[in-house]
Amino acid sequence: MARPIWSGSVSFGLVNIPVKLFSAVSRKNVRFNQIEASTGARIKQKRVSSVTGEEVDYAEIVKGYELPSGEYVTIAPEELDALDPEAVKTIDLQEFVDLVDIDPVFYDSPYYLAPSPDTQKPYKLLVTAMEEAGKVGIAKFVMRSKQYLAAIRPVDGRLMLSTMVYADELVAPTAVELFDGLDDVEVTDRELGMARQLISSLEADFEPEKFSDTYRLAVLEMIDRKVAGEEAIIAAPAEEEMGSVVDLMAALEASVAEAKKARTRHPTAKAESASKKKPAKKTTAKKKAAAKKPAKKAPAKKAAAKKTAAKKPVKKAS
Amino acid sequence: MPAAIPVRTEIAGRALKVTNLDKVLYPLVGFTKAQVIAYYVNVAPVMLAHIEDRGVTFKRWPDGITAEPFFNKRAPSHRPDWIGTCVGPGDKGKGIEYPMLSEVAALAWSANLAALEIHGPMARCGEIDSPSILVFDLDPGDPATIIECCQVALSIRSVLETIGLEAFAKTSGSTGMQLYVPLNTPHTHQHASDFALAVAQLLEKQQPNAVTANMAKKQRTNKIFIDWSQNSRHKTTIAPYSLRGKDRPTVSTPISWDEVSDGADGEWLSFEADEVLERIEEFGDLFADVVTMEQALPVGRD
Repeated sequence: MARPIWSGSVSFGLVNIPVKLFSAVSRKNVRFNQIEASTGARIKQKRVSSVTGEEVDYAEIVKGYELPSGEYVTIAPEELDALDPEAVKTIDLQEFVDLVDIDPVFYDSPYYLAPSPDTQKPYKLLVTAMEEAGKVGIAKFVMRSKQYLAAIRPVDGRLMLSTMVYADELVAPTAVELFDGLDDVEVTDRELGMARQLISSLEADFEPEKFSDTYRLAVLEMIDRKVAGEEAIIAAPAEEEMGSVVDLMAALEASVAEAKKARTRHPTAKAESASKKKPAKKTTAKKKAAAKKPAKKAPAKKAAAKKTAAKKPVKKAS
Repeated sequence: MPAAIPVRTEIAGRALKVTNLDKVLYPLVGFTKAQVIAYYVNVAPVMLAHIEDRGVTFKRWPDGITAEPFFNKRAPSHRPDWIGTCVGPGDKGKGIEYPMLSEVAALAWSANLAALEIHGPMARCGEIDSPSILVFDLDPGDPATIIECCQVALSIRSVLETIGLEAFAKTSGSTGMQLYVPLNTPHTHQHASDFALAVAQLLEKQQPNAVTANMAKKQRTNKIFIDWSQNSRHKTTIAPYSLRGKDRPTVSTPISWDEVSDGADGEWLSFEADEVLERIEEFGDLFADVVTMEQALPVGRD
């Protein structure tokens, strides 16, 4: 069963109905873990003291509010709860408005408001009354030390609560510079006609079920492919001791020797070692020549290069 | 086999955890991460001089060269504390902390990150507005090859000779090559870039069928594009002795001018990790002078 994220009661006038709040959305984002590329180790986040550098236990952490002086006022969770004991457990219905009057930009996250088993009756009464009135309740409540504005409306005999952003939290369009000058742009009737035509050709009834996160599906498919092909999978490392310190070159030599042995054991060893010795025919022949040549010439050059450089006639490039 | 378990190692007095040593990064030839790290450790004595004082960029292939690589400019935050950083050009005017590889253990560390390719800026850390090198990046447009690159390289060299500038050549380890003109005296990126463009345009005029100074891809068909723009402040070039993320573990290899001449005559210049180490045994660092030689570009008169 889903876990309530808040409990308290809905209150209006003299009526008080105990309710619990459940999230109405389960996000389906593909979750990634952070992994160190070179080792495959999980990245851990530690809360450390900026003074001692040592890890700090959760129980030891309090909220601090920074003052202009750079000092902090610390505040314990209990202090916040004690601030307005009513607000932290009451969804206070303040007024009822028409649904169409609420601009969708204000909606934040949807929740279910569910009754306790023994308060289903008053809950049902409230839902039915609101359905008949065709109104949306506007309420305030406090959750996780923030006061929320919320819209409560009946949906299929149940109450849904949507948290809302406050008007003063909305960013004014003037903050987006790219909108500047938009109002002065003129469009002709002909252009508009074409745009209207395009829109009407795409008109439909909104059926949310039609849409799914195809990008997420693509990511999951890619992960499946990787798992199947076993490519790019980073094995989780063992967390404990890694053994004693060895000389790097010794470790490298041991690894190379091991790899060579593995290759000769492998059924395709012959083909591989053959291809190792004889790469593309063309390059072998040429490379050999190139590798040998400087052996004869270069040592002399090494000393003389600088002096002769200026004098030596250069072969024409044509 | 629990390949991902880190092995704690020590190299040159530094503790370094290495992982997945037996992972094959070049499947065509079965070249493993252990071999990549070993190459970088062995090449370090000559390579370090060319990168140790620059903030470098990694191109990493954690799953080998058949998978997608990624560029890594910002120094990974989980680096050992002995890996230094250098603030270099970043996005939107903000700087980025690039890693600096200043010792053999640092090269082993980056190799362990599957940073097959190490790309370096033309300017040293602390002097990031004064390139110590001018580069001509010679990029052959299909079907031209490194052979035509060598021919153009010789032409560039003879132009530079007329004004007393010396240049050094290396293969890119991929399809082309680069010429480095050591400066090691104060210059601006603009100056280096302008000069490289002037040389490129001169050669384009002299050999319109063989050379282009034009970046447009379609102009490059069967021509050598002299990429003068690599001298910009924010550009990096594959570092000398860096591996490449190609089918085989090829290396951006310093070569002598005699070899360039041979290359112009049709000898194929491409070297893999093992060959490069052998070459170093024999010839030392053919790029050693790039680090120290002081030269000045001609000053334009307007």
